[in-house]
Amino acid sequence: MSNIIKRYYIGQPNELQILNGISLTVHEGEFVAIVGASGSGKSTLMNMIGALDKPTEGSYLLNGVDVSKLSDKQLSEIRNKEIGFVFQTFNLISRTNALKNVEMPMLYAGVSRKERSKRAMELLEMVEMEDRYTHKPNELSGGQKQRVAIARAMANDPSIILADEPTGALDSKTGRMVMDIFHKLHKKEGKTVVLITHSPELASETERIITISDGSIISDTGYKGNAPAKEVSAE
Amino acid sequence: MSFFENLKMAFSSIAANKMRSLLTMLGIIIGISAVITITTLGTTLRATVKGALDSLGTNLFYVYLTEKNVDNYYDSYDIETTPEDLISMSMLEELIAKYPDEIRIAEENPIGSGTLRNTEKKDVPVNIVGAYDGTLDYNGCKILAGRNITMEDVTRKKYTCVVSHIFVKQYFKNGENPIGHVISINMENGAAYEFTIVGVYRYNTLVNGAGPNGTDEMKTPIYIPNTIALQLQGNYYFDGFWGIPLTFNVKYDANDVKAHIQNFFDEKYASNKNFTIGVNSAMDELKTIDMVINVITIIVSVIAAISLIVGGVGVMNIMLVSVTERTREIGVRKALGAKKRAIKRQFVTEAIIICLIGGIIGILIGLLNGELIGIVANMIIKSEPSYSEILGNVTIQPSFGAIIISLIFSMLTGVFFGLYPASKAAKMNPIDALRYD
Ligand SMILES: Nc1ncnc2c1ncn2[C@@H]1O[C@H](COP(=O)(O)OP(=O)(O)O)[C@@H](O)[C@H]1O
Ligand SMILES: [Mg+2]
Repeated sequence: MSNIIKRYYIGQPNELQILNGISLTVHEGEFVAIVGASGSGKSTLMNMIGALDKPTEGSYLLNGVDVSKLSDKQLSEIRNKEIGFVFQTFNLISRTNALKNVEMPMLYAGVSRKERSKRAMELLEMVEMEDRYTHKPNELSGGQKQRVAIARAMANDPSIILADEPTGALDSKTGRMVMDIFHKLHKKEGKTVVLITHSPELASETERIITISDGSIISDTGYKGNAPAKEVSAE
Repeated sequence: MSFFENLKMAFSSIAANKMRSLLTMLGIIIGISAVITITTLGTTLRATVKGALDSLGTNLFYVYLTEKNVDNYYDSYDIETTPEDLISMSMLEELIAKYPDEIRIAEENPIGSGTLRNTEKKDVPVNIVGAYDGTLDYNGCKILAGRNITMEDVTRKKYTCVVSHIFVKQYFKNGENPIGHVISINMENGAAYEFTIVGVYRYNTLVNGAGPNGTDEMKTPIYIPNTIALQLQGNYYFDGFWGIPLTFNVKYDANDVKAHIQNFFDEKYASNKNFTIGVNSAMDELKTIDMVINVITIIVSVIAAISLIVGGVGVMNIMLVSVTERTREIGVRKALGAKKRAIKRQFVTEAIIICLIGGIIGILIGLLNGELIGIVANMIIKSEPSYSEILGNVTIQPSFGAIIISLIFSMLTGVFFGLYPASKAAKMNPIDALRYD
């Protein structure tokens, strides 16, 4: 990801530049924390990494593919297969139960019914929510919801898990549990995890801390891993 | 994503807002139920009238003398007719000879009343009616036993007769078989003639009129060959008919028969300066009823179309509300990889399902209305025996065409009015949608 600039209200008097030329490489299997004050542009950056949004300027390669040149349909496919989002407010579909929520990304990927529910159950087991699979989101606590959301993020076995303040709405105890799951995903499954957080303690658990202020990177503890087998995003 | 998954999703979101969905459907329910009620009534009315006409003889044509170049049969008395102009017996015989299995004469000629003395020495009153082979059919009288009057009876001037089942009860007090029995009819002028009973017909009170008194005093017609009836009247020099009813064998197509008759007489009257022959059919009545039903159906369809549009706008409104309410859901779905097309399909499916459920409820209400009307109609008919004899039991016949068309139109309403909200949902920017609260 190089020299990313994001502007809003382009060409209007109230034009805003949120990201001022961010260059960043995240390697496969890395556990990265992005920290910074509220409004500093963390979420905007995450949307960019997650192919939810395209940069106004600059280029972004994901597994070697230039995301800024992709069509809307192709972006949807990337989000579906390569990215797993975990939101601060969980964003589960309230009408349907935990299992169906976990199945949803697979639904859009065209996975067969049988395979879908089998995989969803496995994922719920991984986050220790298998006995709650029939429960609807409003019958679950915040921590439980977030665990279901993490299971959902893992549905199509994505390259990157993007978590935007996943513990922001949780108390410290359940937040701890959620963090443990991320560690597990990172260590056991070898997932690349990008964690956005306010909390310096949580950030310190990760391999690399990137600090953002006013749309620019002000510090980066750097890549600590071995030589990258394959880059998830590259300059 | 599969069609089935889309359906499930649509049902779950409709189920989440049952009351709102139902209220949204109201316009569609009202429109469709009105159409189904009216078309059910229309098809039932048509079938009932056709049934009644059939039992009275829809297979009936009235052949009449009419002035050339005059449209209206009632205006055609300006020019004096000569006996040569009239429809002669020989013409009719020629027509029937040409189409022996097809055409029969339905003319009847009441020549007055008579009495018969039964075994209990009581006088049984009768009307004596000259008949042809098609007369009883034309009067809606079914042969219960024996046979009808035939053209052979007529041309050979046989003293045969067909009597009513009521007459049989009045005359044969010991329950003998009336067929083959010779009866003696005392005419009003004192003369008596002997006839052999060849058939018994069912007396039809609605057509033939109900007797004011009990069965024993009731005066029912005895049908005899018209050639004999004319003789009994002293009418030996019969010129011909001004008009005459003809019936035909129902296995032939009415239009073909009509053409046969018309062509036959057109040829006969081609050289006639003043007169020609017109042919009217009882089916023409059915055409009038069809026209009335069609007009009513069109009016109701227009009203239904308006209510479908109003209902559709309601559906669109609710779908727009629903899209706004579910902005976050749309954002999440997009973040999880839903393509524009998938989102669009989700909301269009939902609108279609709402409209289809509305349509189905409307159809059910329409059918229920039909059944209720059927029950009331049958109650009225039963209270009037002379109606039930002809109309029988009214069976409600829903119009399947109307049901299919209603389903198609409610679906189309869903597609049409769901498309805008759905594409609005599909076009949402996922980031803005996710930030929405
Ligand atoms: N769609 C948008 N339109 C206009 N401004 C936006 C939009 N999204 C974010 N911003 C602005 O960009 C800045 C950074 O937002 P965000 O990336 O959410 O910050 P953070 O996640 O670090 O708190 C904020 O000032 C926010 O108001
Ligand atoms: Mg944020």
